[in-house]
Amino acid sequence: MKSRTAQIMLAAFCFALGLLLVVQYRTQQVARTRLEGMSSADQATIISNLVAANAQLREEIASLEAQVQGLTATGRTSLEELVDELNRMKIINGLVEVSGPGVEVSIDGNISALDLQDMINELRNAGAEALAINGQRVVVSSVVANDDQGKLTVNGVPLEQPFVLQAIGDSKTMQTALLRAGGLIAVFEHSYTGLTVTVQQRSKLVLPIYNQPLAFKYATALEQ
Amino acid sequence: MTNDRRANASRNISFLIVAVVLGALISLQWNSPLPSVPASHERATELTIQRLEAEQEELKATIAQLRSQLDAYQQQSTARTKMLEEIKAQLAGQKLRAGLLPVQGPGVRVVLDDGAQRMMPSGPGDYLVHEYDIRDVVNLLWMAGSEAIAINQERVVASTSIYCVGSTVMVNDTRLSPPYVIQAIGLPDAQSEVLRNPSYLRDLKDRAARYGVQFNVTKAWNLKLPAYAGSFIIRYARPGR
Repeated sequence: MKSRTAQIMLAAFCFALGLLLVVQYRTQQVARTRLEGMSSADQATIISNLVAANAQLREEIASLEAQVQGLTATGRTSLEELVDELNRMKIINGLVEVSGPGVEVSIDGNISALDLQDMINELRNAGAEALAINGQRVVVSSVVANDDQGKLTVNGVPLEQPFVLQAIGDSKTMQTALLRAGGLIAVFEHSYTGLTVTVQQRSKLVLPIYNQPLAFKYATALEQ
Repeated sequence: MTNDRRANASRNISFLIVAVVLGALISLQWNSPLPSVPASHERATELTIQRLEAEQEELKATIAQLRSQLDAYQQQSTARTKMLEEIKAQLAGQKLRAGLLPVQGPGVRVVLDDGAQRMMPSGPGDYLVHEYDIRDVVNLLWMAGSEAIAINQERVVASTSIYCVGSTVMVNDTRLSPPYVIQAIGLPDAQSEVLRNPSYLRDLKDRAARYGVQFNVTKAWNLKLPAYAGSFIIRYARPGR
């Protein structure tokens, strides 16, 4: 009996010992994460430091986001704008193939270089954005001339009849300008015999590239 | 009974050890620094700190991610900057060709002016400079290899038409009045040779001789031509097929 009581007491002691060990261990753990011995003033300092640090981090994020946006958005638009402008210049200078609606003027018969040049002038006056004659792109410096055999040339290339002018632009405006009473076609029909001129609107014309672009030798840009 | 006594002694020693450890632990636990503030407040502060720390970690992760994104964009942007420079250079060349930049260089200056009416012309327009005279001179100048041409202060560009309304000459839809000064940059010898060639501008030269219409060509070594100031409106033409 005596030894049985002793066994129970030992078991109770062991239980109490285990319990105390666990409690003591946990107390140590909590104390460690709470930064042992921290006063509430210290805790307040930690919190306010964290709040300030996080605010700075947010500022940094905002600035980084702005930089990313700046690099993507504005970079892209300025590049796109420049490419658009370059394309427009290339259309004007005839350095790119172009397509669009317009008119096709077919001239069958002998016509002088000056009159053919006047037809180009008339189409420009009616808003032609791009011009070609018999597959030769007409640019600002393109001239209708006569070669040694008396053949008409554009960009120095001899032309065969019929002369077909293609002009991209407002087809109605251009057709009206050419066909009006006292207009250029009327003048031609009056001054030439056996010359047939027809004007047709086209929903889509494709004009070739100007193939003689020479670098300027004499003209240089003036400082603005 | 020696065995019984020995067992009793060892049991007593076990008790003693357990009791000593227990006592030590109780005193340790008693001395553990326990919070002096109420537990609920303590817990709330702790949670705040933990929350702020977690937030800080998230913010730092975002920054790291943004920095690497920015780095990638900056590398792309260097490539884009190179491309931009190239396009800008191309654009400058195209603008020069299109007439959108003021230019200087050698060339010829052609002055056309109406003759004096008292010279008794055969027809009403014989002593006048006509828009087709200007047009013909401009075309010959292009033919002679001119690179840039201006009439008075109007630059001749791809969209330029030279026409008249009544007796007023219009260039780039701007009214011009005589004298008409045509400046063309190019090789002066070649330009003046073409203009003086008797097979060209026969009518103009004839009226110059008979009715006093002025037609003067002078070579110049430093002409300055203005840039085209009008619009280039492209509404219908698109690059490509």
